Amino acid sequence: MATLGFGLDFWDPIVWVSAFVGVMAMAHFFRSRGQKKYKKGTAQTQIFLSGEEVPEAERRHIKAHNIYWGFFQALKGYYDPTIKAHTGIINDYIIWFTAIAAATAVILFIVG
Amino acid sequence: MSLKAFKRALWLYHINTGSCNGCDIEILATLTPRYDVERFGIVLVGSPRHADVLLVTGPVSRQMAPRLKRVYEQVPDPKVVLQVGSCGMEGGVFYESYNLVGPVDQIIPVDVYVPGCPPRPEAIIEGVVNVWVKLEKAAEQRIT
Repeated sequence: MATLGFGLDFWDPIVWVSAFVGVMAMAHFFRSRGQKKYKKGTAQTQIFLSGEEVPEAERRHIKAHNIYWGFFQALKGYYDPTIKAHTGIINDYIIWFTAIAAATAVILFIVG
Repeated sequence: MSLKAFKRALWLYHINTGSCNGCDIEILATLTPRYDVERFGIVLVGSPRHADVLLVTGPVSRQMAPRLKRVYEQVPDPKVVLQVGSCGMEGGVFYESYNLVGPVDQIIPVDVYVPGCPPRPEAIIEGVVNVWVKLEKAAEQRIT
């Protein structure tokens, strides 16, 4: 196997694999020194949420929507009417499509 | 008393169940250079799952009772509870308050009490020493 040289730097698969194995061995050693007396199936193995009840795994995530709160708040004037327009009713979308297609056709007809 | 069975640093998790923060300030005082209990391996940790001792301050408000129980259950065995402050023993200045469900020993079992409003750092350190002795005895029983 060849060693790749980049001027002062190099990359060698043997060195890389050796380093990986070394780090994994250290991680295994430190992990094996940890607390082993947790009783499985009790609160001792549940995640710690400052004493709050631990929700089911699928309800445990933080919604990404929360991160964008400031963004939506700053652009409220734009988002409020556009969110209202997205009713989820197919008839509304067809009306929008037809109206915009008609308006475009009129503009194209006038412009020539 | 020398430690033969419980041969590691003592880690405590501190939970405030509605305290006025007087006891909490005294607990922090034990970590300052004047007392510096960390030099003996006595450390406050951020999770009950890492702790040997549950250190409780406050008289236990109604909202905190289920949380206190949950945190107690999360401490691995053998666990010891150290209760600091008079209000956690009998209500103290919060006695007969409408939103109290304490004292602490009505919610979880308590092993060592440190009275005072707030107790001095020396008293808290003595409580920690007593807790350590209890853990040593528990560890000895497990070995023999």
